[in-house]
This record gives sequence, C-alpha cells and structure tokens, in this order.
Amino acid sequence: MDVPAMRANFAKAAATGDEAPLYFYSHLFLSHPEVRAMFPVSMAHQRDRFFTALGEVVTRVDDLDTLVPILQQLGRDHRKFGTLAAHYPAAGASLLATLEHFDDEWSPELAKDWTDAYTLVAEVMIAAAEEAAEQPAWWEADVVGHERRTIDVAVLRVRPRARYDYLPGQSLSLETDLRPRLWRYYSPANAPRPDGVLDLHVKARDGGPVSSALVRRVGVGDVLRLGPPMGHLALDPDSDRDLLLVAGGMGLAPLKAMVDQVARHGPARRVDLFVGFRTEDDVYDRTDLARLQEENPWLTVTYAVSEDKLSSLEQGDVGEVVLRHGPWTSREVCVAGPAVMVEDTVGRLLQHGVPPRRMSSEVFAPSRPGPSVDGEVTE
Amino acid sequence: MSSAANGSASSDHGIRPADLHDVRFTRASMLHPGYVDSEVDRLLHRVAEELGRHIAEKAELRDRLRALEAQVEGTVTPPPPSEQAVRILASAQQTADNYVAEAEEFSRQMTSEARAEYEGRVREARENAGAIIQAAQEAAARMTGPVPMGADAPQRSVEELEEQVAYLKAFGQACRVQLRSYLEALLSDVENEWGRADPAALPSGPPRPPAQRSGSDGGAAATFSDNSVAQPPSEDADEDLPAAAGSRSSS
Repeated sequence: MDVPAMRANFAKAAATGDEAPLYFYSHLFLSHPEVRAMFPVSMAHQRDRFFTALGEVVTRVDDLDTLVPILQQLGRDHRKFGTLAAHYPAAGASLLATLEHFDDEWSPELAKDWTDAYTLVAEVMIAAAEEAAEQPAWWEADVVGHERRTIDVAVLRVRPRARYDYLPGQSLSLETDLRPRLWRYYSPANAPRPDGVLDLHVKARDGGPVSSALVRRVGVGDVLRLGPPMGHLALDPDSDRDLLLVAGGMGLAPLKAMVDQVARHGPARRVDLFVGFRTEDDVYDRTDLARLQEENPWLTVTYAVSEDKLSSLEQGDVGEVVLRHGPWTSREVCVAGPAVMVEDTVGRLLQHGVPPRRMSSEVFAPSRPGPSVDGEVTE
Repeated sequence: MSSAANGSASSDHGIRPADLHDVRFTRASMLHPGYVDSEVDRLLHRVAEELGRHIAEKAELRDRLRALEAQVEGTVTPPPPSEQAVRILASAQQTADNYVAEAEEFSRQMTSEARAEYEGRVREARENAGAIIQAAQEAAARMTGPVPMGADAPQRSVEELEEQVAYLKAFGQACRVQLRSYLEALLSDVENEWGRADPAALPSGPPRPPAQRSGSDGGAAATFSDNSVAQPPSEDADEDLPAAAGSRSSS
C-alpha cells in the first residue's frame, strides 16, 4: 500500500472543501437511493463530519494502535443509524468514485490501494458492530412525563422499553421523530432507578431544531430513540472522598445524577453542589434540589447568579462563589457547564490547590455551531 | 378419415393434441380389414416432424433463457450515476441545505429577540415595582415618623401600605404571566416557520397570526444557554447526524 500516494490523493479531494463530500453523497444516493433515508434533510454538517473522520483515518493509517479503537467506536456508533454490513461496499464504491473524480492522476494502483484500505476499515467497523450485537442498536423510550420549568427549560421523564444500563455522569444521544435523523446528547439527571425512568433536562436553544422540539412539541406518550450511553464524567469508584460538584446551567444534570448515586448507593460522603445561573428565574430545578437537601443532611446546595442584582442568591460567577466557600483541596471535584464556565472554574480550583487528577470536567455546548454563515457559535 | 389426418389447412399450423384425438381413419375394404396404410403412415410422418420441431424449439428457448439469465446476473450492480446526475443532485442538496439554514437562522433571530424583549420587560417591571415599594415605604416612614398622629392612624396607613405592596407584587406577577404568554406566542410562530422547512414535523392546524414585535429591546445574550453535551471532536466525528447549519452556503 503506497500510503504517501494515497495521502496526496486524499489531499486533492480534501482541498476542494465541501465539493468532495457533496460529490460523494450525491453519488452514493444516486447509486443507492434507499440509503438517503438514513440521513437528515440538511446534509451540510454531515459532510463536514464525514471528511473529518476520513481525514483522521488517512492521517493515522500507519498507526493502527490508535486507528483501530477509533474505527471500532465508529462501527459501534453507526449501529443506531441502521447501518448494515451491506451498506459498507456501497459507500466504498462512491468513495472511490469521488477520489477518482478529484484527481487527474488517478491510477489503477491508487484504486487498488484505496479498495484494500477501505475494505480493511469496513471490516474493522463491521466486526466491532457485530461484537456489540447483543445489545440493542438503539432503545425506544416512552415519554412518561414532560414538565416545563421555565420559559425554555423542560424536564422530560422517559422510560426505555428495554433495560438501559448507564453510570451517573454519562450522557446519551437521542432522536425524536419530530426531527428525524438528528441525534443530540443529553445526560440523565438521576442514577439508575428500579423503574428504569430517566430524567432529562432540556433547554431550548434559539434556532435549535431538536432542543426546541423536545421542550415545546414533545409530550407524554411520544417515543424517543436513545443511543448507547457514553462516559465522560465519572466518579472514582474506589474513592469515598467528599465531593465538590460545580454546575453551570444545564450542566446540573450529570452532577445531580451523581448526588442521586450517593443518595442511593453511597458511600457516605459530604457533597457540596454549586449551581450557577444567569438570573434567579433560570433556576429550574429548585424544588427537587430542596427535597434532596432535606432528605440528605450530607448535601449542601448553593446557587449563584451572575446577572441578577436584585436576587437574594449569591452573586457572581459560580467559580467565584465556590471559592468564597471552601477550602476544597481535599475534595474530589466534578465540573460541568458551558465552556467558559468550566474553564474559569477549573482554573480557579487548580489555583486553589485541587490536584488535577481529582478533578473531572465536561463542557456542555451546543452540539453544533449556530446557523451563522461563518459557522461561529452565535449564542 | 376426417379432420387432421388429411386436412391440408391444419398442416400449416402443425398438429394440435385435439387433431390427434379427433383423427378417424377410413375402414379399408372387406378384403383388407383395418385402416388404410397410407393414411396412417402420413400421419405418423407428420407427428414425427412436429415432435422434431418442438424439440428444436425447446433447445433454442433454453439457450435464450440461459443467455438472458447471464445478462441479468451481470447487471445486478446498476451503472454508476452520470456526472450530470451527480451535479444536479448536489446542487439540489445544497439548495435544501441553504433553506434549512435560513429557516434555522430566522428561528434563532426570532427567539432571541423575543427572549431579549421578555427579559427586558420583566426587568423593567421588577425595577418599577421595587421603586414604587421603596417610595411607599419612605412615605410610610414619613407618616409614622416625625409627625405625631392619632393612635390608630399610623396603624391604618401601614396596613394600607402593606395592601399596596401586596397589590404591586400581584401586579408584577400578572405582568410576568402576560409577558410570558406573549413570548410563548412568538415562540410558536418561530416553530411554525421552522416547520415550513420541515412540514412533516409539524402538527396540523392553522398557523397563528403573526405577533406584533417591537424589537427595540436590547438584552444580554444568554450565558448559560447551552443544553447539550459537547461531542468529542475526534472519535465521534462521523458519529451522529445533526443537521448542520448551512455554514458553507455557496450562494
């Protein structure tokens, strides 16, 4: 396999920007019209993703130790889209046609190398998908509760129809029939319960098709599809250190799940939860947090507001408010929220003396850029 | 003999089974009982010819069937789409992407303007209420303070003021409720606009009339407005399929 030649060939296609993926998908859909239904109406973002992923593969093609796990993860993740082994050759043929189209020096050798490489990639992905075949590709979940908490925040209670195992702090992707083929990530706000019901905290983003549908259109009786849980934020299972949990806005969900975990399964530890909002009106889960605090003497909940001078809650960015309390140097720390808030809070806590190894954080951000022409996040 | 045995018309069409069923040979003479030899011979000859023709035809058909089957097998994979078709579909897709992006952008603008207006009015109402309450309290202090009054007069005015405070609080609350439903109506409009880009996703029903918008209120942009988990950039790059904003529109 002539890797430099393949890279040079790929670079030619990649240099065309959107052209090459546009060609690829058009070719694929014309050759296999049945595949079109697996994709959303608007393909713009999908095209970005596809060539980014392909670029990664090409970059790491001679570093199989890194590449194989990525491909396996991709293969497993593709199950929820309904991807079957039979779809891989179809995509392969269109990929070859695309690479050929954008290269004047296309040769039979390149064609053979790409075919071999693609076959290999497809085999790894298909094998990983088949290994995961004992668990469902996706879970149907009934909406059993839908509560509007503020003008743009709703708490959804969903019950998966089949057993759904996850860890507090993990997140899951979900799809609604109202916005087909658009998968978005949310974190359950509770530890697994005997009845299997998950609480999902959803904020309608301006112009966000899925989030606004979840808040304003979805109701009790609707069905959502859930992808497998993915781990980012997690508690150290061997530790019983006291916890410091710092949430900004909707970052509350995974941290509340951790509080729930301690309440249900221990180990006994003190937990301080700080939740930052912009204004007091934005505090959407006060009643339930008050209930948790009442039931569990080890829990302390503190709210911070950053832009509400009239409020009686603590004033300031949540990271700033956290440091007014303390000290926190002996705690295990989890931080979740928007990028700016996470960065600020983690920075302050590091400075405060919390060792980085005891701190985990997750950025909650729009799952894609806002619809501005230059692709910037516009919120 | 009758019918097919010597009928000249039937020889053009070959022998049909019915012809054989209906065949009748003439009795020979009293001296030679049985059929007339020549008639039987002629019929046998014709039957042999006919059979030979059928066998040949069958073989030919079998060959043709095989050829066709081979041809079908060879063309299971459809011919690759033409360049022209790819170009047409690509531009159609881009057009659709742009429409979706425009609809989302419109929805985003509408919603954020509506939110800014809502927040601005709530803030204003709250500040007004606060100012009125403060003024009332100051007035109460003046009345109950230096000027000595009858025993129950200050009592009454404190009560009055408390009533007034309660009234103002209720008034503030009512303002917020009204503003909220106003904003809900605006958001619903936005949803409908979005729905035009994806009509299947909308429940049926007449769209609401457009709400009035003053759009003059500036408001701070949301800080904690994010609601979904960031996707890990590398592994998941191809992993889910959100509709993208049409940030690469070519128009």
